Amino acid sequence: MKVLVTGGSGLIGQAIRMEVEENPKTDEEWVFVGSKEADLRDAKQTKALFEKHRPTHVIHLAAEMGGMFRISTHTVEFLRNNLLINDNVLYNCYAMDVKKCVTALTSAIFPCDSVFPVDESNVHDGPPHESVSGYSWSKRMVDVQNLAYNKQHGCKFTSVVPINCFGPYDNFNLKDGNVMPALIHKAYLAKKNGEALPVWGTGSSRRQFMYSRDLARLMMWTVKEYDEIDPIILAVGPEDEISIKEATELVAEAMDFQGEIAYDTTKSDGQFRKTCSNEKLRKYLPDFEFTPMKEALKATCDWLSQHYEEART
Amino acid sequence: MAAQNGEAKRTKVTMRVLVTGGTGLVGQAIRRVVEEQPSEDEEWIFVSSKDADLTDTTATQALFDKHQPTHVIHLAAMVGGLFKNLKYNLDFLRNNIRINDNVLHLAYENGVRKCVSCLSTCIFPDKTTYPIDETMVHNGPPHESNFGYSHAKRMIDVQNRAYYVQHGCTFTSVIPTNVFGPHDNFSLEDGHVVPGLMHKVYMAKRDNKPLTVWGTGSPRRQFIYSYDLARLMVWVLKDYQEVDPIILSVGEEDEISIKECAELVVEAMDFKGEVIYDTTKSDGQFKKTASNAKLRKYQPDFKFTPIKQALKETCDWFAENYDIARK
Repeated sequence: MKVLVTGGSGLIGQAIRMEVEENPKTDEEWVFVGSKEADLRDAKQTKALFEKHRPTHVIHLAAEMGGMFRISTHTVEFLRNNLLINDNVLYNCYAMDVKKCVTALTSAIFPCDSVFPVDESNVHDGPPHESVSGYSWSKRMVDVQNLAYNKQHGCKFTSVVPINCFGPYDNFNLKDGNVMPALIHKAYLAKKNGEALPVWGTGSSRRQFMYSRDLARLMMWTVKEYDEIDPIILAVGPEDEISIKEATELVAEAMDFQGEIAYDTTKSDGQFRKTCSNEKLRKYLPDFEFTPMKEALKATCDWLSQHYEEART
Repeated sequence: MAAQNGEAKRTKVTMRVLVTGGTGLVGQAIRRVVEEQPSEDEEWIFVSSKDADLTDTTATQALFDKHQPTHVIHLAAMVGGLFKNLKYNLDFLRNNIRINDNVLHLAYENGVRKCVSCLSTCIFPDKTTYPIDETMVHNGPPHESNFGYSHAKRMIDVQNRAYYVQHGCTFTSVIPTNVFGPHDNFSLEDGHVVPGLMHKVYMAKRDNKPLTVWGTGSPRRQFIYSYDLARLMVWVLKDYQEVDPIILSVGEEDEISIKECAELVVEAMDFKGEVIYDTTKSDGQFKKTASNAKLRKYQPDFKFTPIKQALKETCDWFAENYDIARK
């Protein structure tokens, strides 16, 4: 088995790398590539990449990414570039007879008018939120292409829908990063500067969070064992949803931050819930144990503290 | 006047319209409308796959460079009947996404003022309430038989909205119901219901055999004459300012059954033989009613060509042009 991981230097790619390095297998070769090796928007470069590595399996994580602000103001680029990237990767998987390709989608693909919890069958039930439109639609097209490749050529291309992930090598940028890495970075700065830890909103919104190392283990299982074409949500259960307030307190504890937490209630709370069902995952892996939040946060906070200079901040 | 192929004339016009898929059913109807009422201020250029392979970005850019359109009516697509769609969903998806992306992105880059693309009522969600309207396009997955084609068409609406939100472009789309008319695809295997019926009647008359209609004849459909669609599309190009799509169709009250349609075709072609309904064959969906309320809001007085007249004109065209008709 030779697995090509596109977007290999990002949060999830690095988490998979850590898993592979800790549990190497003699009959597996893992190749992690980033945008330096190939611009996947370019058909020729993507083809050259596949011909160079000749993978039997692909985990496709590469995407044109960005924070909320960039995603909402550059909707055309996010739509077109991701359509191109995904089309090039899937086409080359087909052309090179790749046995399995698993693409990472995003929980932002669900319709904005959803009734929660959502599950895998709801993906196409209505338009996504305007603010993530281009990005979201391009990810939905991966699911459509997976189905089309299977129907026309019998390919086994599938996808996962991860919920909010965090971990070492995350994007800790305060403007662009997701809520958990941004909180971790804020706690780091608050502790360092002896200031209050600022949190936007009341802290009452609820989210499911998952450690990137857990997502990595699940994605490795998906590429080896999950045989459906339809996507699978990879998430902790709805019962493990926590409020932003609880998340902040856990981060403060992990960072050993003793100072004040200041909730700026003039700022928006965002959507109250975005709960995803993990029933399908539990059907396949009833005994999978997620890393306890405290442990996951401690590892991530320690990583940021030790690697602050080179971290994406 | 429609410009000739070859060197484009750099006339001083307010509007230079590039019509992709210009030789098809709808393209030919637009040509007819334009030639009936030519304007010195307008230049209309009808192109087909012979002029450029729109899946190729370089070729599409060359087309835009050559003609420098101010407006685009985008009709070109990879199309096919039920069986072709079932077999090649991936190709329908990828090729149409590519064609549409090339046309829309180059329209944006080349400063095109307005681009009107053509969607289809077949892209609506499979599970839906009726009548369907413009707000429902994305409310569920399309029918699985042509999901590739449907998703590619839906993406036009997504892209139109993206170009508007980010760049203020006025790219929009129309959603016709069943179109028919001269220059249609009359293939029995690939064509749609009206041209299919006409071709069957033609052959039944020629071979002195009964006409066999598939199903009970009871399903109901809204049909729009290509000439009426063309008139409406020219209006959309000039005066419809929304980015959201608009359904172009006769009203629900003008829905007719397949049986009524068959009888009108029989009359138009002066077929005197027996008409048999093969009820072992599937009827397909009973109704697919689309609302034309939005159109009526804009064009309360628009008069559709009476169906009898429209069918007669088409049948006459088919009989006169049987040898060259697409079948």
